Amino acid sequence: MNAHSKLWRTFKNNKTAVVGAVMALIVLLTAVCAFVIAPYDPLEQDVFHRLTPPERSHLLGTDEYGRDVLSRVIWGTQISLTVGFFSVLLGMVLGTTMGVAAGYSGGLTDSIIMRVVDVLLSFPTLITGILIAAILGSGLVKLIITIGIVFAPRFARMAYGPTLAVKEMEYVSSAKVIGAGSLRIITRHILPNIFGEIMVAGTLWMGTAIMAEASLSFLGLGVSPPTPTWGNMIKSGIDVLASAPWLSLFPGASILITVLAFNMIGDGLRDIADPKLRA
Amino acid sequence: MKQQMRLITTKLAMVLAACVLMISLSFNYALSAGDQVLRMANKYGDAKSLDAHRATGSQDRLIVDLVFNGLVCYQPGNLSVDAIIPDLATEIPSSKVLDDGRQQWVFKLRQGVMTHPYDGNPGYELTSEDVVYSLQRAADPKRSSFAVDYSGMTFEATDKYTVQVTLDQPISAFLFLPKFANRGGGLIVAKKALEDKGDDWFKTHPVGTGPFVFKEYIPGEKVVLTRFDKYYKGTPKLDGVEWYYMPSDSSRELALQKGELQVIEGPKEQAWAEKVASYPGVVVDSPNSAETIIAHFNMTVKPLDQLKVRQAIAYAISRKEFVAVYGPKVSSPIYGVAPVGRMIAGLSREEAAKENLVFEQDLAKSKSLLAEAGYPNGFSLEVFTSESATYRRAYELLQAQLRKIGIDIKLSVVDHSTFHARIRQNLDPIVFYAAMRPNPDVILTQFYLSDSIVVTGKKAITNFSHIGEVDADGDGQIDSLDDLIVRARLEQDSTKQVALWKEAQLELLRKMVSYPVIAIGYIFARSPKVDWGYEMITITDGPNPTEKTRLLP
Amino acid sequence: MLKYAIRRILISIPILLAVVTLIFFLVRSMPGGPAVAVLGDYASKETIEALEKEMGLDIPIWQQYLVFLRGLLSGDLGKSLINGMPIAPQVARVLPYTLELTLSSAIFGILFGIPLGVFTALRRNRMFDYVGRTLSLAGISLPSFFLGILMMLVFSVKLDLFPVVGGGDIRDPIDSLHHLFLPGLTLGLMMTAYITRTTRSSILNVLREDYVRTARAKGMRERIVIYGHTLRNALLPVVSLIGVYAIVLIGSSVLVEIVFSRPGLGKMMVGAIGRRDYMTLQSVMVVYAGLVVIINLLTDLSYGLIDPRIRYD
Repeated sequence: MNAHSKLWRTFKNNKTAVVGAVMALIVLLTAVCAFVIAPYDPLEQDVFHRLTPPERSHLLGTDEYGRDVLSRVIWGTQISLTVGFFSVLLGMVLGTTMGVAAGYSGGLTDSIIMRVVDVLLSFPTLITGILIAAILGSGLVKLIITIGIVFAPRFARMAYGPTLAVKEMEYVSSAKVIGAGSLRIITRHILPNIFGEIMVAGTLWMGTAIMAEASLSFLGLGVSPPTPTWGNMIKSGIDVLASAPWLSLFPGASILITVLAFNMIGDGLRDIADPKLRA
Repeated sequence: MKQQMRLITTKLAMVLAACVLMISLSFNYALSAGDQVLRMANKYGDAKSLDAHRATGSQDRLIVDLVFNGLVCYQPGNLSVDAIIPDLATEIPSSKVLDDGRQQWVFKLRQGVMTHPYDGNPGYELTSEDVVYSLQRAADPKRSSFAVDYSGMTFEATDKYTVQVTLDQPISAFLFLPKFANRGGGLIVAKKALEDKGDDWFKTHPVGTGPFVFKEYIPGEKVVLTRFDKYYKGTPKLDGVEWYYMPSDSSRELALQKGELQVIEGPKEQAWAEKVASYPGVVVDSPNSAETIIAHFNMTVKPLDQLKVRQAIAYAISRKEFVAVYGPKVSSPIYGVAPVGRMIAGLSREEAAKENLVFEQDLAKSKSLLAEAGYPNGFSLEVFTSESATYRRAYELLQAQLRKIGIDIKLSVVDHSTFHARIRQNLDPIVFYAAMRPNPDVILTQFYLSDSIVVTGKKAITNFSHIGEVDADGDGQIDSLDDLIVRARLEQDSTKQVALWKEAQLELLRKMVSYPVIAIGYIFARSPKVDWGYEMITITDGPNPTEKTRLLP
Repeated sequence: MLKYAIRRILISIPILLAVVTLIFFLVRSMPGGPAVAVLGDYASKETIEALEKEMGLDIPIWQQYLVFLRGLLSGDLGKSLINGMPIAPQVARVLPYTLELTLSSAIFGILFGIPLGVFTALRRNRMFDYVGRTLSLAGISLPSFFLGILMMLVFSVKLDLFPVVGGGDIRDPIDSLHHLFLPGLTLGLMMTAYITRTTRSSILNVLREDYVRTARAKGMRERIVIYGHTLRNALLPVVSLIGVYAIVLIGSSVLVEIVFSRPGLGKMMVGAIGRRDYMTLQSVMVVYAGLVVIINLLTDLSYGLIDPRIRYD
C-alpha cells in the first residue's frame, strides 16, 4: 500500500498529469451525463432554422438540418470515448495476446507472428486504417474493430520484448522445473511485468484512437449518420466553413481538449513510471 | 553555445519567412493571366470515361459535350425538345412509314465538317461512314452504355452525305430526336480514330468534331481542351477550356474568389448561393434542370409489400422540408415522376389532387395507416446511402421524418460507386434516386417497365420497385404498367401521348410505387467576365461553353 | 558497416513481398466493384459483365495475383481499371508532390524541433519550457486536417498570400514552393511538435547519466558537456523516432492532400478506394510500402552510423 500512496503523491505533484486528469474527468462526466446535460435531442431536425449562428436558444448554433450543435457535441463525447476506449481495449487484448504468445513460444510461432506484426507496423496507421475501414464498412462496431486491428501490432511489439526478458529469468525456469503450467507462468510473472507499460500506452492511445475516428470520419469512412461524432461533424461543417464555422470549430476544439487531456495524463504516467524522467 | 544555436535558428527562420513572402508577393502578380482560357471546376473527383458512348456520369458529359456534336442538337441553354435544331445534319428530318410498317428517317449531312486532329492524323472530313459507324457503336451493348436507346434500329449510309435510320416500331419525333441529339449515344465519334487507336485509347483521348479539341487529361486533376480552329460553326472565341476536378466545396470557392477559376459548381444549397452571391465580383446562376429526386419502394421487402405501409410512409414525407434543406431557389416539389414545369407531361399538383394523390405530410394519417397495416409501433429498416451530398441529405431527411411515425431507419453511408452497385442488386428496401432523363418515356421505361427490374429483369436497368412483377395493392393480381408505357411510347398523337403519360404517373401514385419528392436545379458561381454567348434557361450536367463563349477583358 | 547494411536490405525484401501480397488480397476484398463504378447510371447487367471481362476481372484470383507480381518486377504497374491509363506514369507524376511535402515537413520539423527540444530541456521548468511543452502537446493533439483548414482560412482567404488549390507546376520551383507552403507548414508544425518532445525527454535523460555528472564534476566547460557528450547520445533515440514520425507524417499527408486539393499519392489512394479501382489502389499502396521500407532502412542505417555498437550486433 505504501508504494501505491507514494505513486499517488507523485502523480498529484505532476501538474500536467493532474490538469489532464481533471480535463478527462470533465469529458467523461459529459459523456456519462449526456442525457441530462444536452438541451435538445441531437437527432431532432428543425430544417426551417438551419445553420443559425450561436445564440441564446442554441448556444453553439444549429447545423445543416437545424439540429442543435451543443447537444450533438455533448452526445458526440459518448461516441468518441466509446470508440476510444473499446478500440484501445480491443487492440490491447489482441496485441498483448499476440506479443506474449510469440515471446513465450519462441521458434516458428514467434517468427511468424512477429513478422506479421512487423509487416502491419510498417504501414502508416492512417493508411492501414483507411484500407481496413474500406473493407469492413462503416458503423460504430466496425469502426472500433478497424481501429483495434490497427493498434494491435503496436501492443504486440510492446508485450514481446518484456516477455522475452522475463522468460529468461531464473524464477521462470525454476517455476517450469517445478512443473508450473505455461498459463500460470504467463499470468503470474509475465503479465504483471508488462502491465504498467501497457496501461500507460493505452491511455496515450485513447487520444490517438479519437483522432483516428475523426480522420476516418473526415474521409467518409466512419460512423453512419445521424449519429453525431466529432469527426463527421467536422466533415459536414467543412462545406460551410466560411459561412458557418461553428459547425467545425466546436467539435474540432472538443477533439483537441480530449486528446490533449489523455496525452497529458499519459505524459504524467510516463514520468511516474520512469523515475529518471521525473522533472 | 546555446546563444549561437539560437542565433542560427532565428536567422534561418527569418530567411525562410522572407523568401516565402517574396515568392508569394511576386506570384500574386504573375497569376492574373490575361489569356482567354476558361477555367472551370466541378465537384467530382475524377473522370470515369471520356468516351462519348460511355460517358454516363455528369463529370464526363461535361467534357464530351464540348468535344462532340450530334446529328441534331439542343439549343444551347435550352433543353426543350421543341427547340432542337440541326447540328451535323442540314435539317430536322421527318419520318416516313414503309410498307412493312417500319419507320424511316433520313438525315442529310453537312459537307466539309472536319474531325479533330489526333495522333497521326491531321483530321479528315466527316462523312456518313463515320455517322453510321458511330450510331452502330452506340447501339452495341458491348461498347456503349446507351445501347438500350437504340434497340430495334438499323443504320445505313445511302451515299456520302446521307444516313438512313430504320425503326422496327414507329415512334413520335418527340421521342426520336433526343436519341440523335448531342447527348449520349447521339454523339458522333470519328471512325478512323477508333479504328486506328482502339476503344481503350479512346477512353482518355476523345476525338470528335466539336468546338474544343482534347489536349490533355491529368487524372484526378483536370482535362485541358483547346480551340478547334476548323470548327464548322466558326472558330471559337476562347483559346481553350480547362475543367478541374475539385471535390472540396471550400477549395472551389476560395479558388473562385482568388481568380484562379472563373466558373465553379456549387453545392445545391441556397444558403451557399446567397453567401457566394454577396462576394464582390461573383455572379451566381441557378438555371433549371429536370433532375428529380424520387423515393422508390422495393415491394419485395416486407413490410413494404403492403400498400397501406407505403402510403403511411408517403404521408410522413414532407416535401416542404426537402425544399427547405435543398433551398427554395434550387428545388421545387414535384407530384409525379415527370417533373411538372420542367418536362412535358409533368403531373401538376391539381391533377394529382383530383384523385387525392398529393400525399401532403399528415403524421396522424400516417400513424393510423401504419396501425391498420398491423405495425402500430413501427418497424426498422436497413438502408444504404451514397456519401454524395445530394443523396445523403435525402436519406437523412427521410430518416428524421420516418422517425416521427416510429419507423427506424438504420442508415449506412457508402461511397457513390458502392451505392450504385448495391441498389442494382436489389439489396435496399427504399431507394432514393436522383436522375435526369430526357422525357417521360425514358423515365417510365427505365424505372417502371417489368423488363427493367433489377437483377431479374430481361434488360435489368433501374426498376427498384419491382412493379410489373408483384401485387402492389393486395387484390391478388400482379400489377404492371408495361401496357400503358408501351402504348404511350407508340402513340403518334402528342395530345394522346401526354394523356397516357399522365395516366401512368397517376397509376404509380395510386399504387404508391414511388414517391416523387423534388426536382433540383444547378447552382454555379462565376466571374462576371464570363460571357456565355447564350441565355441559360435549362441545363443538364453543367454549364457548357460554346464557340460563342468568351471572357470579357 | 557494409555487412550490416546488406543484411538490413536483404531483410527488407521478404517484408516487402509479404506487404505487397497482403495489399493485393486486402484490396480485392472490398465490397462493390469497378465495373459498376464506371458504368454508373445507365448500367445494365450485360454491359457490366462485358466491362468486367474487359478489365481482366473474370480470370481466377490466383492468376490476377501472378500477373500483378510479374508486373511489379518489370516496373509495370498495370492500367487503371477506371480510365484505362497506365498507372506507373500517373504515380510518377504525383510522387514528387508527396515526396516534396513529406520531405519539407520532415526538414522543417527537424530544423525547428531539435533546437526547441534542446532549449526547453535546458530551461526545464521555466516559462519557456512550460510554453514549449504545452504548445507541442497541443500540436500532437490537433487533427492535421483541421489545422490545414484553419491555415487555409487565415493565410489564403484573409491574408491572400497563398494559393488554395493544387500543387503548382512541379517543374517550376517557385510555383511549387508557393503551393507547398501551407500544406508543408501544417505538417511541419506537427512534426516539430513530435520532435520537440522527443528531443527534450531524450536530452533530459542523458543529462542524468553518470558520465555527464562525471564530466561536470571534472569541471569541463558546459559547452563541451552539452555538445560533446549529451547531444550526440541524445540524438540516437531521436533519430530512430524521426523514422517513426516520418511514417506517421506520410499518413497525415493523405488528409492534408485532400484538404488542399493537392495532387499526391494520398489523393490518388482515396479516389481509387471510392471508385474500387483495385489496380491503382494496390499500386499506390505498394509505393507507400516501398517508401516506408526505405525510411526504415535509412533510419536503421543512420542509427548504425551514429552508434557503432549496433553494427556489430
